[in-house]
Amino acid sequence: MNFDNLSAGDTFFFVLSFLSILFAVLTVTTPHILRAATFLMSVLCLSAGFYILLGAELLAGIQILVYVGGVVVLLVIAVMLTQNKNLGHDQAVLSRKLIAFLVSGVFFAGSLFILSASPFANSPPMPSISAAASGDPVPRAGAIKDIGIALLDAGPNGFFLPFELISLLLLAVLVAGIVIARKEDQETSL
Amino acid sequence: MITIYHWLQLSLAIFSIGLYGVLTRRSAVGVLISVELMLNAGAINFVAFNWAQPARAAVEGSLNASRGVDGQVMAIFVIAIAAAEVMIGLAILVALFRKRQSVDVTDLNKLKY
Repeated sequence: MNFDNLSAGDTFFFVLSFLSILFAVLTVTTPHILRAATFLMSVLCLSAGFYILLGAELLAGIQILVYVGGVVVLLVIAVMLTQNKNLGHDQAVLSRKLIAFLVSGVFFAGSLFILSASPFANSPPMPSISAAASGDPVPRAGAIKDIGIALLDAGPNGFFLPFELISLLLLAVLVAGIVIARKEDQETSL
Repeated sequence: MITIYHWLQLSLAIFSIGLYGVLTRRSAVGVLISVELMLNAGAINFVAFNWAQPARAAVEGSLNASRGVDGQVMAIFVIAIAAAEVMIGLAILVALFRKRQSVDVTDLNKLKY
């Protein structure tokens, strides 16, 4: 790795990577669940930065809106609804931690080994977002329009069927969430 | 220069950290939080591959020559599925807590109470 000619986009990548890995480790190691939710929020915000580096501005917005605005708030509410004295300090026993560390470490090392042997290890450099901004012929205008067209295109390049299935899934989830979580009183039963 | 290799390493690292969290958390909400980390790593992979693919000529029906948006569309699906998963998971947890006053996954070894 040659650090001499880092472009601005590359520097951003390394800073964001370091921060998000740090926050991810904090997310899984902090004994307080509420703090874990806050650290998760940081990781997700940094991921929005990654999406901008990858030329996906719409996804960055969706990430902030849905994940940070919706999912994390939902998680925090769930933490407060299911608060328990015994789980105030959510720490596993040492043996479980060791086993989990071994499993995830072996998974990480094995995947890294496979990855280093794969053709991805010497792939060409990716187009930089700063190069794209400085007039390099990287076509990126109209990406958001393309996403809209791809989502509603019933042709071979489109995602019309999965899009409709997702909307059905979200409707089912909405109904199921209410049905599962409602109080089981005689008056409120449907 | 950044290649797809760096992005794959990054998302692999975040995924492994999430795996560690899933295995060690005792609270079910903590497990859900760790699963969110893993899903996020997968979404980053999709978008990175989308950005790494060479720009192709104008596909039929598309407005302009671009590198395509398939990976971004898949990432949108990942986010939608994650939201659905969290919603159902939390509904189950709230119902469970009402019955048992606990969401400790090490105690949950029965499907029916």
